[in-house]
Amino acid sequence: MDKENSNSITPETDERTHCKKEGRFSSNAVAELEEIITHYPNKKAAMLPALWIAQREYGGYITPEAIREVARLLGRSKAEVEGVATFYSMYNFKPKGKHHLEVCTCLTCGCVGAYGVVHKLEEMLGIHLGETTPDGEFTLSEVECLDWCEAGTVIQVGNKYFGHVTKDNVEMVLEQLRESDDHTPTSLADDIVKILLPEGEPKSKVE
Amino acid sequence: MAELKLLLKYRDVPGIENIDVWESCGGYEGLKKALTMERSAVIDEMKISAVRGRGGAGFPAWIKWSGVLKHTDAPHYLICNGDEGEPGTFKDRELMLKLAHQLVEGMIIAAYATNTDKGYVYIRGEFVEPAKSVRKAIDQAYAKGYLGRGILGREDFNFDLYIHMGAGSYECGEETALMSSLMGERGQPRLKFPHGALPVDAGVWESPTLINNVETYSCAPHILRNGGAWYASMGTERSKGTKIISVSGHVKKPGNYEIELGTPLMEMLDLAGGVIGGKLKAIIPGGSSVPILPAEKCVGVNMDYESCQAAGTMLGSGGFMVFNEKTDIVILMRRTAEFYAHESCGKCTPCREGTRWMFKILDRIVSGAGQPSDIDLLLNVCDQIDGRSYCPLGDAAAWPIRAGIKNFREEFEYWITHKKSPIGDDCVPPVPYRINPALIPLS
Repeated sequence: MDKENSNSITPETDERTHCKKEGRFSSNAVAELEEIITHYPNKKAAMLPALWIAQREYGGYITPEAIREVARLLGRSKAEVEGVATFYSMYNFKPKGKHHLEVCTCLTCGCVGAYGVVHKLEEMLGIHLGETTPDGEFTLSEVECLDWCEAGTVIQVGNKYFGHVTKDNVEMVLEQLRESDDHTPTSLADDIVKILLPEGEPKSKVE
Repeated sequence: MAELKLLLKYRDVPGIENIDVWESCGGYEGLKKALTMERSAVIDEMKISAVRGRGGAGFPAWIKWSGVLKHTDAPHYLICNGDEGEPGTFKDRELMLKLAHQLVEGMIIAAYATNTDKGYVYIRGEFVEPAKSVRKAIDQAYAKGYLGRGILGREDFNFDLYIHMGAGSYECGEETALMSSLMGERGQPRLKFPHGALPVDAGVWESPTLINNVETYSCAPHILRNGGAWYASMGTERSKGTKIISVSGHVKKPGNYEIELGTPLMEMLDLAGGVIGGKLKAIIPGGSSVPILPAEKCVGVNMDYESCQAAGTMLGSGGFMVFNEKTDIVILMRRTAEFYAHESCGKCTPCREGTRWMFKILDRIVSGAGQPSDIDLLLNVCDQIDGRSYCPLGDAAAWPIRAGIKNFREEFEYWITHKKSPIGDDCVPPVPYRINPALIPLS
């Protein structure tokens, strides 16, 4: 539950990721969505899954083109799709850094050192909460309870969780991330789409 | 009464996420037994067990189950609420991550009992690893014939189970908001009984819908395997069975513990190794939404629905948060209010506006600008939200703040008079504006 997520659609372009910023869903994405639609009594119910596919297809955030495409494929208005998308904090409307650090500062984590971790990260990265480093490597956010309180302080980075983080060991988290080529906002969306589909590739259908 | 492992019994068995290992531990026997019984007899077994909803409200599970079965004219839907988001609660996370087959088996039993052929596991978007486990369990269950058409040779029993991932919203843990989200809408609540229909009569797509928590479904395989009477032999007179308690905060061994309902609260604390970093100051026994208990009121309270209520708090979802003497209750309450202000869905005015006002007032106090009238103003805002909001999120925002003031009023007064923490500079959570001025919007 990213707290700094802007609730407006900003038509920015992003050179950091190699995903398209415009154009339509790939034929693979359309096939995935068609399969997911069969899980529900109507197309509209596939809205959240379609937005997850969009987040993956358009490089880790939802562009105006992505909204248009979801609306077209589900037969809904763009206003409705945008209205739904902006309710949820995990859909991004601005490009995020390659490693999106989401630090839980909720009750338990806040009591066992989360604010010290945030402060240390701000120092090390040279940015404030809600900002991205100029090289596009890291975005730092504060989030609400990630429900792994036994391991506080907890940081989520895309599909990875880091537990028992302290201001003294948080540097190791950064080091580990620097070695990874993963673009975490995209890989998180990709993992979620895979979870929605049963094992095995969906049958590719011609558009 | 003490630690009693039932749902967590097989948590540490190597490979328990695989169907073969789960079967070797007695897995899917409950389902096989259920399929030899009439649908209504399965519900009777749930009734005898007296298991209550483990999501927080504690509503008897069997009433929902029988409410769905009685409808014969529309398709039924089954939903598992895996949108665990309550601060301090992390039991569903572990149940899905390690014991996904237990959940899937429980859902198949519920589907049979309620004559339902389609179900969804709604999992919060952040839970990627737990959701992967559920995905694997569903795929394995299909391969073994526990899901799909003609389950275990029963021509009259088909059940398809799908996963629906959330996308970051605490509000979607509320059952009617979850249903909105499942139908592809903003996660906002629907009108509740008696003003609106019950989910069991008209839930998703206006069809009879059974919605239970992960832990509730996970009880079903054990109840069917061993009988409702066996389950009801555990716990207290009105709180039967076991409950998973997620212990976190200033304790030696935080984690999930399964206890027999009725276990003394202080024994729960001992199980988790006791308080660290100083003396015990307070405990929140059931997640951030329930009233905080100061240390002196913890003695004599038992971990069951009735005893917690008598002590002025609730068992809730079992998020047991322990705070030592270094904890500044005013800053803790400010953080709680910040959470609810952020997570309010914005549908109704008392909650949307009230939660923000509570945060602003508490923020003013810890920034050193509190006024003597602020305490009564906060209580007034609590009264304006409690019982007046569209869904329980508003109540859940008001209760902790009211209890914080009731039990620790002198700390609020100290803050307002001295403009600093009564605990000192090393209090936790730290004074926000000292750590990072950019964190607080002072308006």
